[in-house]
Amino acid sequence: MKLATLAFLPALLGACSYQHYQSVFGNAGTDDHQFLTLFAIFMAVCTVMYVAVIAFLIVGILRRRRAGEANVVETGRHHRAHPLMRAGLIGWGAVVSIGLMALAITSFFTDRSMAQSAAHPRLSITVTGNQWWWDAVYNSADASQTLHTANELHIPVGVPTRIILRSNDVIHSFWLPSLAGKQDLIPGRETDISIVPKKTGIYRGQCAEYCGAQHANMAFVVNVDNYPDFINWWRQQLQPAPAPATPLAQAGFDYIAQHQCSMCHNIAGTPVGGQVGPDLTHFASRRTLAAGTLPMSVGNLHDWIADPQSVKPGTKMPKIPMEETDLRAVVAYLETLK
Amino acid sequence: MSSPFRASLIIAGAATLMVCGCKREERHSDSNPLAGSVPAGERQPTIYPGGGTPPPLDPRAARYENNAPALAEGQWLYAQMNCVGCHAHGGGGMGPALMDDKWRYGGRIDQIAMTIAEGRPNGMPAWRGRLTDDQIWKLAAYVRSLSGQPSKDAVSSRADEMSNTTPLTLTPRQGPRNADTAGR
Amino acid sequence: MRRVCTAILFGLISLSSGGCKRSPTLSESTVTGSILPDANHAIASSAASPADDGNWIMPGKDYASTRFSALGQITPDNIGKLGLVFTFSTATTHGYEAPPLVVNGTMYLITPFPNTLYALDLTKPGAPQKWVFKPEPAAASQGVACCGTVNRGAVYSNGKIIFNTLDGQTIAVDADNGRQIWRTQLGNIQKGETITMAPLVAGGKVLVGNSGGEMGVRGWLAALDEGSGKLVWKAYHTGPDKDVLIGSRFKPFYAADRGTDLGTKTWPPEIWKLGGGPMWGWISYDPETQAIYYGTGNPGPWNADQRPGDNKWTTGVFSRDVNTGEALWFYQTTPHDIYDHDDINESILADIPWGKGRRPVLLRPGRNGFFYVMDRRTGQVLSATSYGHMNGYLGVDLKTGRISINPQKEPKQGRVTRDICPAAPGQKDWNPSAFSPVTGLVYIPHINLCMDMSVSPANYIAGTPFVGADVKMYGGPGGYRGAVTAWDPLANKAVWEIHEELPLWSPALATGGGLVFYGTLDGWFKALDARTGKLVWRFKAGSGIIGQPISYRGPDGRQYIAVVAGVGGWAGGIVDGELDPRDPTAALGFANAVKDLPNKTTPGGMLYVFALPR
Repeated sequence: MKLATLAFLPALLGACSYQHYQSVFGNAGTDDHQFLTLFAIFMAVCTVMYVAVIAFLIVGILRRRRAGEANVVETGRHHRAHPLMRAGLIGWGAVVSIGLMALAITSFFTDRSMAQSAAHPRLSITVTGNQWWWDAVYNSADASQTLHTANELHIPVGVPTRIILRSNDVIHSFWLPSLAGKQDLIPGRETDISIVPKKTGIYRGQCAEYCGAQHANMAFVVNVDNYPDFINWWRQQLQPAPAPATPLAQAGFDYIAQHQCSMCHNIAGTPVGGQVGPDLTHFASRRTLAAGTLPMSVGNLHDWIADPQSVKPGTKMPKIPMEETDLRAVVAYLETLK
Repeated sequence: MSSPFRASLIIAGAATLMVCGCKREERHSDSNPLAGSVPAGERQPTIYPGGGTPPPLDPRAARYENNAPALAEGQWLYAQMNCVGCHAHGGGGMGPALMDDKWRYGGRIDQIAMTIAEGRPNGMPAWRGRLTDDQIWKLAAYVRSLSGQPSKDAVSSRADEMSNTTPLTLTPRQGPRNADTAGR
Repeated sequence: MRRVCTAILFGLISLSSGGCKRSPTLSESTVTGSILPDANHAIASSAASPADDGNWIMPGKDYASTRFSALGQITPDNIGKLGLVFTFSTATTHGYEAPPLVVNGTMYLITPFPNTLYALDLTKPGAPQKWVFKPEPAAASQGVACCGTVNRGAVYSNGKIIFNTLDGQTIAVDADNGRQIWRTQLGNIQKGETITMAPLVAGGKVLVGNSGGEMGVRGWLAALDEGSGKLVWKAYHTGPDKDVLIGSRFKPFYAADRGTDLGTKTWPPEIWKLGGGPMWGWISYDPETQAIYYGTGNPGPWNADQRPGDNKWTTGVFSRDVNTGEALWFYQTTPHDIYDHDDINESILADIPWGKGRRPVLLRPGRNGFFYVMDRRTGQVLSATSYGHMNGYLGVDLKTGRISINPQKEPKQGRVTRDICPAAPGQKDWNPSAFSPVTGLVYIPHINLCMDMSVSPANYIAGTPFVGADVKMYGGPGGYRGAVTAWDPLANKAVWEIHEELPLWSPALATGGGLVFYGTLDGWFKALDARTGKLVWRFKAGSGIIGQPISYRGPDGRQYIAVVAGVGGWAGGIVDGELDPRDPTAALGFANAVKDLPNKTTPGGMLYVFALPR
């Protein structure tokens, strides 16, 4: 009941933020909603206590000292306690205890409800952190339905999703504030985070644990779709890459297959099978480039491929000495990978 | 000069020196990848007729030889480009051991870079065009670290695989036994 | 008078006792192959194992892969007199795994890279060289051969010697004069494919399979026409049913192997193209049913996290029609293999007592540590019993056929899994066992190794390894690294077992005289009494022995034993390749298991032929 009446607070706070796609007050996921409710209750209780303590402090400062009662040194002889003081102290103790218990109980219930929503995931995704991009594998009991993608996730609304987190090199942290909390990706361990999205939309998350020179440019995008849209997306992503349709795209593919690109990247359905960098099979269907560093566009794609080191200095993708015609061909081909 | 003032002057001087010492090497996040810097050809230890000497080491190679970020990148590339599959972590397998002092085709950094770029007749693949020259130099520098050549403060102190081999910071230096090792 | 009586008595006694045991004579003493059918032990299938003519024309001796020579001149009693008759240097010092072939007075030797073929004239003293054929394979193929540049043998058929080269060619050469008859290119080294296996000629077809399970190569078995070398059929081991030649005749015994296009459905999308399942081991053939039996290799990469699913049709046993290649049945020995337990080991065709009659079976000492007895008509597993120490598997459920893996010993990304037994080469690797129809026992030379394994994402670059694992191997419990086990396939237990200090990488030979021959990695060529396992003879060769010993009847009627000593292969790579054991992961982990081998042997490639004195 307490929770219900305070439900308006998260909405208020949500209205306060100017964007919802990467905000702790985004309130788009069940976990986030539960967190915000807990936050509101804590705020309320602590505000009351804070105000009361400040009030007492001010009263104490402003009250003049009566003569004779000043400089009382404790002589060891007990004075009889002032009845009002005694009642006040007992009352204050009761208020504090009730307040703390309220916090503890709401915290317990929030934790429990978050754990319950995580208990029966219907979708499982394994996200592996690399310097400085995100690898994602959608797990499936049917091996031929497993999907390998990078940097952009699609999840269905209302469906409990468990994301298993691993790291290939250093500690990263998966932070998706609008939908869920934060969880570290620790090499040598498997951690996980649970999401139950409530609202469709596009949300941004990023790495929240310093992981090297380009930690600031390690973001990812999560699209929350309706269930039928999500299934369509999954099916479409399982398709191998479309064959190049124009001679320019074919030249671009040939360049990729015979040069440095194929050493690191994978394009399903072709001999290009590198597993070091992000999977490119449906690269053009993503909204961002280089893990959220640049928005996806033809110009940015040219920029990125021509000189990744000037966009994201220190990234593992090297600057490849390419002719301008090769660059155009490669971009033309990559654009077809929807 | 009063004693506290002198003390603080000394401390300030020492701090300045320390700060200057921090920038001990350049990390190249390269917009300038030395294209064409790995020489083509098959140069291996050999006879130089007429009393000749082996060609001097390319000065650009010095950028990589004792450079910690380059060695770290080389270590990462060594695993990712499947060098581990043939050469293990220096012990060899399909390919010869890289941590000992025997070099079939020369153990100088430019000779190793050439081996990587051009391949060798008994099965070493040719990586020119598949790796940038910058990446090849980094790999060559890392390969040399497997036999303890670079200085110990530049090599990686952490292996990425299950710990089995002596850490590179403790690997003894094995001078390559090879006639063509000017610039040891 | 008393002396005469004593002499007569003595003579009578010696005559009668001479009749009791098989007396060695200079004439052909042969135990006939057709053992009484009511013997209560396993016997070789008669159609696949005809009477011994004293030759050795195919690597397994016969289609049943018995590796049994019925010649009985050499016995445990007279082997003390066995001596070296002649030697021959093959001019190579890589691992020598092939058996010499002997056909009517000529011996043929096929070497590891560069795959030179020699013919020696056994009718002349010292067996001089008759001719030599040099196929000149591409030197770069040495860079994509995972486990030594070995060759597992040639085969003789209809006047031709047929063999494979490391760079993926199959060549037929005239057995009399060494001239090439045909040459077919089957493998592509640019994709990491090589061929190391010994071909088999059956039903007029030359059966050839590829290697490359560690290189991301898609495995296959091909049949070439024996006369022309042209491709007749090719069956892949991953991919859609039409590539695997699975059609209406395919009737797997277990439900897990039934379905359409399982070769794609049990893999993540597109990964089956790099899937592995090469066929680099042994094929057996039943002439009665015209069915071939063989196993497929490991799926790629070793890091199983990258390939969820059962990964059909790798690490399993196929039966196919030799004429069309159509699959008849399949049993997946190790679905979703996590330890590199290729299943290419030999399938011995035997008939075992069953009820009132006999049941045709396959006897397979498996790589994964189980000895399988399977009905070869249907693929049903009759028994699967562990023949060594193991903790990676918990058992085989005979109802479903499924092997169960110990989850604590499963390698997972991000952790090191320690003390996994058996190690990646398994309880027994490629080196085949021998079956004696006299004793009914299978003589298995094998290893006792455990390993630590860690896996990481493998990067696929064609022509380079696709493994994703670091392995370190060491001796298993008991302190011995090799063993010869005499296994009773009916009682499913060892009758005797002798331990060897070093892992055993050599095949076994069983003879009618009651002997078992094998070689050790440090060069001891040993003979054991087949009934008791007692060592009755040994000879120190110049290099470690990993090659198949054979026995043949020479032109002079004597029984000869021949073996080529040349250490190498996966086990001997530390010697052959001068690897550095300071890195325990060298040679995919094997270097650590045989760190002491370089002190015990050196590379070589010498043929040794032994016989009793005239």
